[in-house]
Amino acid sequence: MVWQREEKFAYEAFLEKHKIILVFFILLFACLSIRLFYLQIIKGNSYRKISEQQRMHSTHERAPRGIIYSADNAVLAENEFTYIILFYPFGQHQTPSNKNIEELNKILGRDVKPTIDKRRRYGRVVKLADNLTIEEMFKIQEKKMSLEGISVVKEPRRIYYSPEATSHITGYTNEMNTYEVEELLEQGYKIGDYVGRGGIEQSYDKYLQGKEGGWQIEVNARGEQVKAFKYVSPEIGANVYSTIDLKLQQTTYDALKNSATGRGAVVVLDIKTGAVKALVSCPGFDANKVGTNKDFGNYSRDKQLPFFNRTTQSFYPPGSIFKVVTFAAAVELLNINPKETINCTGSFELGDRHYSCWYKQGHGKVNLISATAQSCGVYFYQLGLELGVRNLEKYAKKFYLGQKTGIDLPNEKKGFVPSPEWKKLKMKMSWFQGDTVILAIGQGALWVTPLQMAYMMSAVANKGICHKPYIVDKVVEVNGNELYKHVLESNEYINLSDKTWSLLHQALLETVEHGTGRRSKLPGIKVAGKTGTAQNPQGKDHAWFISYAPADNPEIAMAIIIENGGGGGLNAVPIGRKIYETYFNIDPEKGDQ
Amino acid sequence: MIQEKNFFQRLTSNIDWWLVFAFAVLMLISFITIYSACFNYGTPLKYLSVQFLAFGLGVVGLLFLTSLNYQYFKQLDKVVYVLSLVLLVSVLIFGSVKRGTRGWFDFGYISLQPVEIAKIMFILVLASFLDRKAKEAKRVSFLISVFAILISHLFLIMMQPDFSSTLSYFPVTLVLLFMIGVQPFYLLCIMVLGSLAICIPLLETFLNMQLQLLQKEIFLTNFAIALKSSWFGVYIALTVLFLIIGSWWFLWKLRVKISIVYPVVLCVSILLGCVASIPVEKSLKDYQRKRLVVFLNPKVDPRGSGYNIIQSKIAIGSGKFTGKGFKKGTQTQLGFLPEQHTDFIFSVIGEEGGWIIAQLTLFFYFLFIWRALTIAKEARDRYGSLVAVGLATMFAFYVVINIGMVMGMMPVTGIPLLLLSYGGSSMLSSLCAIGILCSISLRRYTYY
Repeated sequence: MVWQREEKFAYEAFLEKHKIILVFFILLFACLSIRLFYLQIIKGNSYRKISEQQRMHSTHERAPRGIIYSADNAVLAENEFTYIILFYPFGQHQTPSNKNIEELNKILGRDVKPTIDKRRRYGRVVKLADNLTIEEMFKIQEKKMSLEGISVVKEPRRIYYSPEATSHITGYTNEMNTYEVEELLEQGYKIGDYVGRGGIEQSYDKYLQGKEGGWQIEVNARGEQVKAFKYVSPEIGANVYSTIDLKLQQTTYDALKNSATGRGAVVVLDIKTGAVKALVSCPGFDANKVGTNKDFGNYSRDKQLPFFNRTTQSFYPPGSIFKVVTFAAAVELLNINPKETINCTGSFELGDRHYSCWYKQGHGKVNLISATAQSCGVYFYQLGLELGVRNLEKYAKKFYLGQKTGIDLPNEKKGFVPSPEWKKLKMKMSWFQGDTVILAIGQGALWVTPLQMAYMMSAVANKGICHKPYIVDKVVEVNGNELYKHVLESNEYINLSDKTWSLLHQALLETVEHGTGRRSKLPGIKVAGKTGTAQNPQGKDHAWFISYAPADNPEIAMAIIIENGGGGGLNAVPIGRKIYETYFNIDPEKGDQ
Repeated sequence: MIQEKNFFQRLTSNIDWWLVFAFAVLMLISFITIYSACFNYGTPLKYLSVQFLAFGLGVVGLLFLTSLNYQYFKQLDKVVYVLSLVLLVSVLIFGSVKRGTRGWFDFGYISLQPVEIAKIMFILVLASFLDRKAKEAKRVSFLISVFAILISHLFLIMMQPDFSSTLSYFPVTLVLLFMIGVQPFYLLCIMVLGSLAICIPLLETFLNMQLQLLQKEIFLTNFAIALKSSWFGVYIALTVLFLIIGSWWFLWKLRVKISIVYPVVLCVSILLGCVASIPVEKSLKDYQRKRLVVFLNPKVDPRGSGYNIIQSKIAIGSGKFTGKGFKKGTQTQLGFLPEQHTDFIFSVIGEEGGWIIAQLTLFFYFLFIWRALTIAKEARDRYGSLVAVGLATMFAFYVVINIGMVMGMMPVTGIPLLLLSYGGSSMLSSLCAIGILCSISLRRYTYY
């Protein structure tokens, strides 16, 4: 077949080219088919996922956190509800339009910014404003049709009823920071979650959190809701029952706040169980306010370090209260005669150096008991020298100094007990006898936390039986299901002879009856304790008082420190008295008579 | 002229049934998809009724053109040419403006886009011209007259301005010139000319957008500033010309004898390309330029112009093997897909019908084009062959560009998918084209 009126070769030339064109078209269609196969079969699953993601939104409804109770079932931390504005991205809009922002600004009368801050994103959702009043909420709901992608959501907010007094027990919550997002995501948090900071909020965060809920809705390209699929109601977190005695805590906080410097720490432990009755670090912070950036900044710049939990994180030199350890070691190892006296001239000489007693005139003739009661330095220098550094170190560790107590609060510190090896390593110097002498009265590189001191005192009161301190008794779900219950642990035991314990009790009782702790003497109840005035290189002496009561059948033990408070007997002891008065319900007027 | 059988007997016995079958299947897919795609607009029946009306008119045109001997077009080629020019000029005068383009005759209920008809007329005219002057195919004057015909159409369409409608002219012209026996070298020159004319304005846009985004690339930035601010571009063009002439001279000295015509033609086409870029730059709208640039580098503008491509790819990909089902495509029904009843209709097929239906659609398109090429092979004269090849090329070009676009292989140019997309004018012109194809096919055994 050829073209009419054309020569044959012209048609054959045409057929050649026709073939080329046909092959060319086949190639083009093959390309299209390969691409189609690639998109739909090979990448199909991932594209299906994307298409599902962009049509499905879930409205994040944050779960209220569990309630924190005190020992007498008073509420320490609860939730109240506020309204927040959220923006759901749709179509090509990842941030709300300027028009909508202006509209919101007009209604709220404040500056709303569409932030791209990671902290303010809940997945793809952006938080525009929080703490709305109900009127503002209604106004926005009225104009909802013109405000594309914007919705108002109810959100729980944490409220603390004794914000300052219990600040270090409860801690506080806020949204996660940009720099910690990755770490927290690994721990199973989601972006936008509130995270507990410090105190019970942090250590029991997993229980308190609850489960997020919300609507699963289908939206179209304009961000309008097409249909809702299902609603998952948020689950409130489990309630936490702490061991704190709120009245005692409040009294203690007020007493510390009104003390000489207003800075200090108190730990009150239940001797029978190890439960924390009160745990005060002063100054505290207002847990209701720290959520806002401004107040947070103010608190973190404060020179008095309100965020610092002094009871578990702060190191202090123990000073004379360490004499309890020296005392125990001396009775155990030196077979000392308690009646034997030495003469205190107010100064102790070792080689060419003088170590003075706090009482410059000297106590005169003192024996073991009266030296403790009067806190005589010279007597204990003598004992320390006879014991040697090895024994002091051994006994300090026996009383669990330099170790964590294991309390269920975050970031507890260990403290420190020095040793000749440590000094060699760190200071490149050998251990001198002078170091031993000052170690015997709790100075030198010996560092303890107030909690450790209270723990030591409860062990002394219990004749060696140690109960691990704890602050949360139980965690109970809303439906009554108990998730956690504290078990009494008394596997730690300080093994000393009965003679040592009775002598120590006698000495501590004498301290309060006639010695340096007499300002805490109570009518009807016998208190045993020891004062301390710890010299510290940074400034004025710290005032210490550790004690337990009633002496014959101990119930509570406590450690009090007032930072730079001066003499322990003068400044720390009266606070101890106030705490005992509150605990034992003693009318202070009657006591004075 | 022998008239043994009547028209209907010839129709049933000689018509290319495969072509009709492919066409019918594609029409069926089209109606179903348009119904689904317009469902979320609320009035799918309105769109469908317009489409049916156009289809009815088109079928009348198809039958008329089938019964008409296509050789009349060859005899009346001057009339057809003048008529096409009249159409294009009158739309510039009487036409109404839609989306910034003066390209529609508005008849109230429906509106007609004369460019769609003019395209078919151009193929008829060009084929006729090539057929008459086939023996002069090696001459430059021949090429120049072809380009005179081409430019007259392009100029009028650019006046509207409608960039995307001009695109199909280039492959049709090139393929027909190739078929008639023009040397591939000249076609290469033409392609250089055309691509220069389009790429220079694009380069400018691209550099503009890059300037805002990539301040880091010091070399690129300096290059762009130099290009924009001085005669730097002219220097580059002159250097290229000098290099071409120089290398030709060098080869001549090496006694590799190449006619002086080749370098001169290449140089001239480069110069012409540069000059032609000026009117192209003026007619290209800003968004069109951006679209083309975004295709070259989608990361330039992921939220704006890149959005359409991304959503289309998501729609097609999420269809997977069997699709999400009729009216169940989330991308389509929730409005994520742009222009879903016109340019992006293939994405709807891909999403709701899945790979099976999409691949089947591609297959039927190929069947259709293959049959059109077969008609070209079997036509009884050169004119018929050229017209059939021209029409086949037009269909193939539309399919490849449009489906390539929705799958992210081609720039977003606003070209509809012939036969499938919603649109009366393109439906009408497609059916007319099929009518002409049928006419050629029907008369393949008719000798005179």
